[in-house]
Amino acid sequence: MNPGNERRWGHGVLVILGGLYLAGVWLEGVGSGVPSALLPRTPLYFLQVAALFPHAALNVIDYRAEAWLCTDRRWEELDTRAYFPLDPDDKENRFQRVMHFLRDNRPTMRALDDYIVSGHAAGGLSRPDGIPEGTSLGGIRVLSLRLPLPEPGAPLTRSSRRPLAEYPKTVRKYFYHTPRSKRAERCGYREPRDVPTGGDATDGAPSPHETESPE
Amino acid sequence: MWKIWRWIHEPVRVLRLEILRILAPLAILGFMSGRLAHADEWIGDHGFHGPDLGGDWRQPLYVPPLPAFAAWALACVMVGSGLALAAGWKARASGVVFAATLAFVAVADRLAAFTVSKLSPVVVLAIALGPSGTRLGVDAWRRRRAGRKRGKKLRPASSLQFLKLLPVVIYSSSGIAKIRGDWLKNPLVLWTNIHDTYQTAVTFALASVLPRWAWTASQGLVLTFETLAPLWFALPATRRGAFVFGCGMHVMIGLMFGPVVWFALLMMSLLIGGWAPDEWLAPVERLACWLERRAEASAHAGNVEG
Repeated sequence: MNPGNERRWGHGVLVILGGLYLAGVWLEGVGSGVPSALLPRTPLYFLQVAALFPHAALNVIDYRAEAWLCTDRRWEELDTRAYFPLDPDDKENRFQRVMHFLRDNRPTMRALDDYIVSGHAAGGLSRPDGIPEGTSLGGIRVLSLRLPLPEPGAPLTRSSRRPLAEYPKTVRKYFYHTPRSKRAERCGYREPRDVPTGGDATDGAPSPHETESPE
Repeated sequence: MWKIWRWIHEPVRVLRLEILRILAPLAILGFMSGRLAHADEWIGDHGFHGPDLGGDWRQPLYVPPLPAFAAWALACVMVGSGLALAAGWKARASGVVFAATLAFVAVADRLAAFTVSKLSPVVVLAIALGPSGTRLGVDAWRRRRAGRKRGKKLRPASSLQFLKLLPVVIYSSSGIAKIRGDWLKNPLVLWTNIHDTYQTAVTFALASVLPRWAWTASQGLVLTFETLAPLWFALPATRRGAFVFGCGMHVMIGLMFGPVVWFALLMMSLLIGGWAPDEWLAPVERLACWLERRAEASAHAGNVEG
């Protein structure tokens, strides 16, 4: 085959690939099952770019965490932004994203638990986490705040981060906590073993067709 | 089919691809900038990375975190290749490298990946495979300084046709997804999505003053534009209006949804490169011609002195 023909063939292949990509983006966005039936997960993932904001939000959701203080044997709010410095103040923060996608996935929650507890013990955080340095942590519990949406025309307040204690218990949804036995083991005291729970597993777990913000 | 094939291969303004080659990498690097500043947390072993979920749909591919030095090295390669592409320096090679780094980070960290992450490797690869850097930029300047011919103003560029179609396909698909979702059932979908941490001062000001019907009307306009986008962009009579509406919509998205500004800028660069009316690109055409003449004059002066 001469170089001119080779180029033409190569170009033809690229045109076909481009067409298939556009068809795949369109089909995946409209909710067709064809791309997911034909493609492995990784190429499929690159086609998931079009279904943006298809649903109404039901609440304003903000994910938070509390730490178990070994000495006081109580929960205290912990500022996760100290452990996840990327995009600290919006829902693109990686802690918010772990919670959004994987709050019902126990191996991920355990890894998160270890990451925060060991991170606090090691120190050198990017900002204070709200718990005094040197305080031993026995574990974490994570929750979502589900805040009601205002009605159009009603008085509004700017979206801002307020301490957890200012929110009523009715807007909090817990979905993971370090098991009591694990907290006791880390803190060095004895507690009866408890049954690990997935917490509130009905906290709107994402679906395979979960959509996301477009950035 | 023959008509489509002819359209794909019809000569187009190379300058459009040059505009995309400059704007798109800058919008992508803007999006990546916050992540690049924390490369060791983002894709390196200093940050949180979940375990291998072994086939869970939420993890398209498990990529173990990189050692911190490798994460920083990758960040440097991404910035270098992205800027080189925008400057038109070894445009094809830098574009391919930039696209490869973008594809890697899109799968390496699902947590910080969004639409821009998934879209950008494809956009950059298409730019790199076209005749980028032949009219504007460092490559074009050096060619003319070396006394070689000016790059053609018009030539077939199927990659540009692909990049023209891309936003239209996204709009159409997004519109249908919205119809299948809540946009026809709930008149306040837009309103419900402006109260979280994406909220900006502009969003808050508009939310405080606009009446209920304005949100429903905006929702209807967006839905109509997106769902029927193939029609608006295909018909010569509506094409210019569609371009203006699309750009206006992305300006509002950028102003009202905080970090989504980078997505808005990337989409606007696709719209400008693909669909801006020819006469609106005249100043850029004049700039390109002026640079070509200067490079040739300087090459000629060099030859005379020599």
